[in-house]
Amino acid sequence: MTSVTVSNKEITSKQLGIMLLALIGLGIAGGIAISNLMAEGHAAYNTNNLGLFWGFPIVIYDYFLLTSTGLAMVASMALIFGGEEYRPIIRRSLWLALAGLLGGVAVLMLELGHPLRALWAIPFSFAFSSPLYWKVMAVSFYVLSLLILQVRMMKPDWRMQDLRINAMVTLALALGVTAIAGVVYGSQSFRPFWASGDIPVAFIFESLLGGLAFIIFFTYLAYAFNAAAVPASVKRLFNDRLSTLLALAIFIHLLFVLARMSSGLYGNVEGLQVWQHIAASPLFFAEILIGLLLPLVLLMYPGTRIRPWAQILASLLVMNALLISRYEYIIGGQLVPLFKGSWAPELLSYAPSPTEWLLLLVAIFLSNAVNALGEVTLRLGREG
Amino acid sequence: MAKWGMVIDLDTCTGCQACTTACAMENNRLPGENWQDVLFYHEGTYPNVKLMWFPRPCMHCENPSCVSVCPTKATYKDPDGGFVLMDYNKCIGCKYCQVACPYGVRFYVDEKAVVQPDIRGVFPSEAGRQWDPPYKGPQDDPSRGIGIQPHGVVSKCTFCYHKVSKAPKGVADLDEDIPELKEYVPACVRVCAPKARFFGDLDQPNSNVNKMIADKRGVRLKDETGNKPQVYYLSGGATASVPSLRSMSDSDKA
Ligand code: SF4
Ligand code: SF4
Repeated sequence: MTSVTVSNKEITSKQLGIMLLALIGLGIAGGIAISNLMAEGHAAYNTNNLGLFWGFPIVIYDYFLLTSTGLAMVASMALIFGGEEYRPIIRRSLWLALAGLLGGVAVLMLELGHPLRALWAIPFSFAFSSPLYWKVMAVSFYVLSLLILQVRMMKPDWRMQDLRINAMVTLALALGVTAIAGVVYGSQSFRPFWASGDIPVAFIFESLLGGLAFIIFFTYLAYAFNAAAVPASVKRLFNDRLSTLLALAIFIHLLFVLARMSSGLYGNVEGLQVWQHIAASPLFFAEILIGLLLPLVLLMYPGTRIRPWAQILASLLVMNALLISRYEYIIGGQLVPLFKGSWAPELLSYAPSPTEWLLLLVAIFLSNAVNALGEVTLRLGREG
Repeated sequence: MAKWGMVIDLDTCTGCQACTTACAMENNRLPGENWQDVLFYHEGTYPNVKLMWFPRPCMHCENPSCVSVCPTKATYKDPDGGFVLMDYNKCIGCKYCQVACPYGVRFYVDEKAVVQPDIRGVFPSEAGRQWDPPYKGPQDDPSRGIGIQPHGVVSKCTFCYHKVSKAPKGVADLDEDIPELKEYVPACVRVCAPKARFFGDLDQPNSNVNKMIADKRGVRLKDETGNKPQVYYLSGGATASVPSLRSMSDSDKA
């Protein structure tokens, strides 16, 4: 193992700083959001009974959930197939997967009408026909397997081969959660914008892309974006394998998005009219050109792919593009109202309310606080 | 066992919205949250414009997508009568059923009021319910979605379960013209002045509703979804008709 070029004390103090900032942010954003909710109830959200039922909080929840499963896929595949060179990112990926999930679930809880009731009503319902039932059950086992892996890796001399079975279970559960998340939307046959057999697969690639982007970004964050402090083994991994994998994942995600867009724009299937609206929006252009194509170029061009700034920028842009992608998919699928839309020509309109934006901050700050806590207490950087 | 169904004759319906009003009164609906609605729209472009209307309750589907997606079984199909009902005590307000109902007939009332002023502020409730209207129906059965809706749950039309389920066993049709049955007739059917609505047992071959569906070739809305509604429309085409598929070309924009 290569020695860490920055002292543990330094890392710890930086991480404590990040944690403090995240906690302050969480206190402010969470405080305002919860007081808005207490004052207005769900009227604080811009969803409505006209057809836009799942708004920005669901976008945030699914974004963080899919990021989490993507990180778990990256970590478990590294454990199963990767070999020692992947060691520096495995524990961090797994911890980030837990931290991200916590941020997403917190937002979901603030969206549900009866969050506490959900804790017992779902597991004991045995509602086998419901994709949401499967999703909740799969997420529960997924968290358990993440925790077991994390605990087993607390020993400083943990060996990859000892954890393979555990990693396979985690990988299967991460894939399962992601695919079921895809089924929740993809099975809605009367919402053509959502419905498609390839959605669970598209979700898996999207998650992987998110996982790769997040692990690169948060590894740099762990060293306070000081490239000189990043261990040589990590740099080697990033310059070589991870940049290539990230570029490949961007390319595959782009293919999925563009394929769906072309059939949406070309065909005249009822309900796909929303593609004309989406494909003409500045947000979509930002997603494709800045969020996906620019990082792809940065990572493919030999002069930039090994530059830390390019890797940081590329992952940050991808993280944003994925949020836009999630937003377009979940909101876009509801813009053509199912029934009133049968003859009402207009698409619905929706923009997140201030409270809904605050929930994004809640998820970001909570995940960052938990992640920084892990960096400090579990010393995730020691693997470098 | 009965399988209750409704027939709506669009040739007779005048779009008067008595059904909407009766349902709102019977079920203490908030203004704008119409379990039973009459939707107005137009087809064609000026000068060939046709004003259309379309009465639309919950279809009480035979194969309801709202039931299959519910992660808590809060939405369920009552095997005795074929009602699709809500258990307010189990609902977690995830709104998956709303997303999955192809007919847009489910309501989550905690959001901004559709109609202003928000009457919930005028008649606030102290019992954890949405509101406390001055007149309330005597029926209260949260396990079947009957009574004033609590916070954080989705609601839907019950086919007036509290009336229909008390009908004498074995009757084929609930017709408001038969004095001893009229108390059991769903509110929207009972008040329909031009008698465009009929309610009966789809499992009894000789029921009037079954005969009407056969004689006038009753159609089900969005049958392609596989939900198999238990509400049938008779659509002669003289006035209102079952809406055609969505048309979103520029020429259709008003
Ligand atoms: S119309 Fe909608 S709410 Fe009613 S039973 Fe069918 S799917 Fe469920
Ligand atoms: S909102 Fe309630 S009834 Fe609807 S799917 Fe969720 S738990 Fe079931």
